[in-house]
Amino acid sequence: MSALLQRRPPKDPQNTAAPKPGTRAGKRPAQGRKRRENLAAYGFLTPWFLGLVFITAGPLLASLYFSFTDYSLIGDHNWVGLENYERMLSDERLFSALKVTFVYVFVSVPLQLALALALAMVLDRGVRGLPLYRSVYYLPSLLGGSVAIAILWRQVFGANGLINQFLAFFGIQGEGWVSHPDYALGTLIVLNVWTFGAPMVIFLAGLRQIPAMYYEAAAVDGASPLRRFWNITVPMLTPIIFFNLVLQFINAFQTFTQAFIVSGGTGGPSDSTLFYTLYLYQRGFGAFDMGYASAMAWLLLMIIGGFTAVNFFASKYWVFYGD
Amino acid sequence: MRAHPGNGRPQARRRNPLLSVAAGVGAIVMVATACGGSGSDDDGVVELRFAWWGADDRHSTTQEVIDLFEAENPDIEIVPDYTDWAGYWDRLATSTAADDAPDIMTQEERYLREYGDRGALLDLNEVGEQLDLSQIDPLVAESGDLDGQTYGVATGVNAYAILADPQAFEEAGVEMPDDSTWSWDDYVDISAEISEATDGELVGVQSMSYNESGFQIFARQHGENLYNEDGSLGFSKETLEEWFSVTQELLDNGGQPSAAESVEIEAGGPDQSVLSTSQGAMAHFWTNQLGGISESAGSDIELLRYPGETTNERTGMYFKPAMFYSVSAGTEHPEEAARFVDFLLNSNEAAELILADRGLPANVDVREHILGSLPEADARSAEFLSEIEDTIVDGNPPPPIGAGEVVNITKRVSEEMAFGDLTPAEAAEQFMSEVETATNGS
Repeated sequence: MSALLQRRPPKDPQNTAAPKPGTRAGKRPAQGRKRRENLAAYGFLTPWFLGLVFITAGPLLASLYFSFTDYSLIGDHNWVGLENYERMLSDERLFSALKVTFVYVFVSVPLQLALALALAMVLDRGVRGLPLYRSVYYLPSLLGGSVAIAILWRQVFGANGLINQFLAFFGIQGEGWVSHPDYALGTLIVLNVWTFGAPMVIFLAGLRQIPAMYYEAAAVDGASPLRRFWNITVPMLTPIIFFNLVLQFINAFQTFTQAFIVSGGTGGPSDSTLFYTLYLYQRGFGAFDMGYASAMAWLLLMIIGGFTAVNFFASKYWVFYGD
Repeated sequence: MRAHPGNGRPQARRRNPLLSVAAGVGAIVMVATACGGSGSDDDGVVELRFAWWGADDRHSTTQEVIDLFEAENPDIEIVPDYTDWAGYWDRLATSTAADDAPDIMTQEERYLREYGDRGALLDLNEVGEQLDLSQIDPLVAESGDLDGQTYGVATGVNAYAILADPQAFEEAGVEMPDDSTWSWDDYVDISAEISEATDGELVGVQSMSYNESGFQIFARQHGENLYNEDGSLGFSKETLEEWFSVTQELLDNGGQPSAAESVEIEAGGPDQSVLSTSQGAMAHFWTNQLGGISESAGSDIELLRYPGETTNERTGMYFKPAMFYSVSAGTEHPEEAARFVDFLLNSNEAAELILADRGLPANVDVREHILGSLPEADARSAEFLSEIEDTIVDGNPPPPIGAGEVVNITKRVSEEMAFGDLTPAEAAEQFMSEVETATNGS
């Protein structure tokens, strides 16, 4: 993903992240040093590379193979061809899981990004103690996917939780938010929106890249703040928005921990929080249907790949790289 | 976070490249050594892993039993491996798949076949020399058998029953039912009466539709059963619909908690039951849970026979093996593992610690031995079991492969009905089709 950002170095010459070839290491006595540098790089890369092969690529290919078998996690497995994929077509719970996941992704990601951008703009105006605010807002991003926060969420949104105690203060008798099928997914969406810190930090960095002279020129020409936002900030920020969008989309599609903990692993009440990954987990580890679960994993990969491809394709029409 | 444009950091100063290679290699070594295996030590002590599920008190008593065993058998070391009920099965499935199953484990009826049938469990007949099964209660002696192989031995005996809090009845001014005559109509009426009399302060009964064990009793009362011998569904749609209708009635008349409340109560396990939190008068549980629930409730909970035992076609209550001890087929030390199971099962000293926590001991001699020393609640459940023993007509055929999944299906269908998405008839239909898929699918 980061390649995407580095492809077009930002305009501001002072802040160029990657040195252009020849600017620094290109000078003379560099040949031997360069080789040594490469060696060092490979040294550092080795653990990552081994991880890629054994922890990512290996299991990835194994799951592709298992998706064509009736692998049950215990014991032998037989080749069944496309049977697992055919079974998906008539699996109602799979479709309800897809629905839950899509609602979650398409509601929570835009909300999260909007909130992140809004706060980034507030902070960008030069708040005193910016590093502190930045850290505070970033904190939920670090914690949001954790088990502890999911448990906390369950308490906060429970029948006797914080939210209802607050509502009771105003004489409102609240529901058990996480135990009602109409609201349970909503609490998880709120949880995801709450982790706006990561995209916010990126937006903040992006905002800083926009040369002040554009705003000055626009202000001289009498452009209103709203106009400056739409005609300068948004276009200049589109690469960052795009980056955040792609990243958060992919993350949101793979949400698991929060749903698992909040629903106690069931996806309940009434499958209202049955995320795709949670259902996959239930098939694989609960029902010993690992072949099917593997096929589901590949469907998810294709879905995410498809959306990301569409995202990239569409980006040609709205992302402005400044050239 | 990933790199983002213009982080403006100056380039890091050069370091000795060899140093960084060393760091990389070091990291790999760290990772590799962390994956080291276990097994037998050099000093001839055999190390075995014993996995069980449960709550804190079970963990501490089991550790005491292990210490006792190790003191008597210095050549064996038992490594405890415990977790809660829900996490247990995920963990067991993954570790079994990774060929790293615990040497000894507790199993449950609905999962035993799943593992046994796939060759993951040792046939205990092979270690008959170390493991004496002669004193096991005949009612559950063969409950761990499958196609002539013994994949597990019952830890103890259990029955599914209704737990009632006399204090709650008193508070509501409602008389305790006579469990030798009450019908399902009485059950509904009494529950509603309690909710009404206390103005919702106390609820009549916790939802019963979350556990298919209750329906099994209900089906048996109608001359049917949950499963047939061959593993197919053993009940008619009408019976199941009737079962769900009882819950629907209680939802309508306020005799049980609302749908959303039930979700929270169920998520909390026995510790959050309406009895444990003193918010209700009755709940459906296993007899070995009486002790724990009485303790959380702080009052003397009583056991009642199921409604309809005398008013329906026949009695439906049954004894169930509370859990099983099984040995992994992949263990390197089957004989030592069998010795430990033998200790858990046949030793009076072990039983004095375990008491009725894993059901009333399956070994009849051991049961006799500890009967006098049982704490009050467990003594009551032992008495209850012996009282109902004569009324029990027969046992249940072992549940089919896939029965473990029925736990979740039951829960889900109940929820959908409680939230009004399904009528009892639709719930029955959905339950049957889902269970059929789950139990034939694999």
